[in-house]
Amino acid sequence: MSAVLDDHGHDHGHDDHHHGYSGIMRWITTTNHKDIGTLYLWFSFTMFMVGGVMALVIRAELFTPGLQIVNPDFFNQMTTMHGLIMVFGAIMPAFVGFANWLIPMQIGAPDMAFARMNNWSFWLLPFAGALLIISFFMPGGAPGVGWTMYAPLTVQMGIGMDFTIFAIHILGMSSIMGSINIVTTVLNMRAPGMTLMKMPLFCWTWLITAYLLIASMPVLAGAVTMTLTDRHFGTSFFNAAGGGDPVLYQHIFWFFGHPEVYIIILPAFGVISQIIPAFSRKPLFGYASMVYATASIAILSFIVWAHHMYTVGMPVTGQLFFMYATTLIAVPTAAKMFNWLATMWRGSLTFETPMLFALGFLFLFAIGGFSGLVLALAAVDIQLQDTYYVVAHFHYVMVAGALFTAFAGIYFWLPKWTGRMYNETLGKVHFWLSMIFFNMIFFVQHFLGLAGMPRRIPDYPLQFETWNKISSIGAFGFGLSQLLFLYIVVKAITSGEKAADKQWEGADSLEWTHLPSPAPYHSFETPPVVK
Amino acid sequence: MAQDVPPKASFLAVAKAVFWSFFGVRRKADYDRDSASIGPVQVIVAGIIGAVLFILTLLMVVRLVTS
Repeated sequence: MSAVLDDHGHDHGHDDHHHGYSGIMRWITTTNHKDIGTLYLWFSFTMFMVGGVMALVIRAELFTPGLQIVNPDFFNQMTTMHGLIMVFGAIMPAFVGFANWLIPMQIGAPDMAFARMNNWSFWLLPFAGALLIISFFMPGGAPGVGWTMYAPLTVQMGIGMDFTIFAIHILGMSSIMGSINIVTTVLNMRAPGMTLMKMPLFCWTWLITAYLLIASMPVLAGAVTMTLTDRHFGTSFFNAAGGGDPVLYQHIFWFFGHPEVYIIILPAFGVISQIIPAFSRKPLFGYASMVYATASIAILSFIVWAHHMYTVGMPVTGQLFFMYATTLIAVPTAAKMFNWLATMWRGSLTFETPMLFALGFLFLFAIGGFSGLVLALAAVDIQLQDTYYVVAHFHYVMVAGALFTAFAGIYFWLPKWTGRMYNETLGKVHFWLSMIFFNMIFFVQHFLGLAGMPRRIPDYPLQFETWNKISSIGAFGFGLSQLLFLYIVVKAITSGEKAADKQWEGADSLEWTHLPSPAPYHSFETPPVVK
Repeated sequence: MAQDVPPKASFLAVAKAVFWSFFGVRRKADYDRDSASIGPVQVIVAGIIGAVLFILTLLMVVRLVTS
């Protein structure tokens, strides 16, 4: 509780100081939401690099047909760990990092509600990440089952699978604790006058996301626990030989898995909803409808899971139900797209790096959304299931949707976090490199998928060679571009120009209007007055 | 908050608000009236009922199509 109750900070002029430990112990013991936000973001970037290297191993192997660099078993371990690390280690923690930094400042609270639990939520993560990585050094290596961990393969894997299961358990605990913290903070710690419908949209999207996490993470924990007992305690939940049903696993997994997609993308929507109004110098168009649309997307996300499973055997009534429900999700999502476009309409637009990434998001997420609609159609999906079309689709959602938004958010709030500006020219170069290389990797994968190239294979027939070469070159370009991002951020932190308190003219949430840059270590010990 | 707004919204008003929320849009004047008169518990209950109705409607359509 020290971070919440500490009242020394504002007595002297330099309240950037931490009053407890220093050095590494400061970070291990910290209960400050800003410190923990920073930890989340750096952890996320580290895992992004680890998962990125795995992606490069995959793309290097796929550069030409035949087996050159890795054996098929290791290739499968790469695809599996790339997926798990990127989803659970990179993207989710990145947005929890944003939540930690921003929610208290945006609602005028001094810190998160449960400051110590916040510390624990974070410090579980490195151990989970370590379990995932250590699994490579176990007999049999890391599991090569795909990030979805489908039975019955999971029942047959070596000890690395158990490491992964425990890692998932720990990651789930961390997410649930983080969510409880966010819900409690948003509902109880708003400054006087900050009604729910006055909160910045980022806080709204996180409030709804937190509920999604609380509802869906235990389902995943259940699924992997059943896998664990199938492996070691003689149960047969998913083992057909013992009377179990592997398809049951898929249902349980995707009942978690589809809300998970929205867990990743809703906070991204929140970030975009802060950035586009700021650089359009107009309030967000249709704020209330944005909140409504977020809520209805969240509800709908629970009734569409089996669109991931059209080909496993399902009555046509089931296919139709999930097809209709899935296509209807496009309605609230389109309402959001419309609102962002309407926000820009006749706005006084400027195109700094955060806005460029936000526009990149709009453009590419629209493509990812539409390819999602294509896949939602059961008749079409049966042709495209497990092809590179699916790989292209979800990378448009995950990379161009979530990752680009995380970049946008980091460029947007870095001046507030560090008090220093990044190099605008280099930021723009980073955007264009990312934009070009991203499309080089993934747009061509649509063609590969339509032509019938299956996903998760280390080798392929000759006719797929050209597009695979382009995709692989794009992947290395994209990976190297992210080193530029690291350079830009480190350069900004160490020797960037001093940022203004309200660095962006059109930004209007409390962290910009009421706090200096960098935001002091303890902010809003006395709640601001919100009219 | 205007004084002349009734403190509790009718069932129909809540149902209407929830319907529009599923669609994702709402007229500003209606929204202002809703936010003044509808409580969070009402929204949550109506939202759950709305979701159940939505699922039932989809199931009916599926039946109609396949019969």
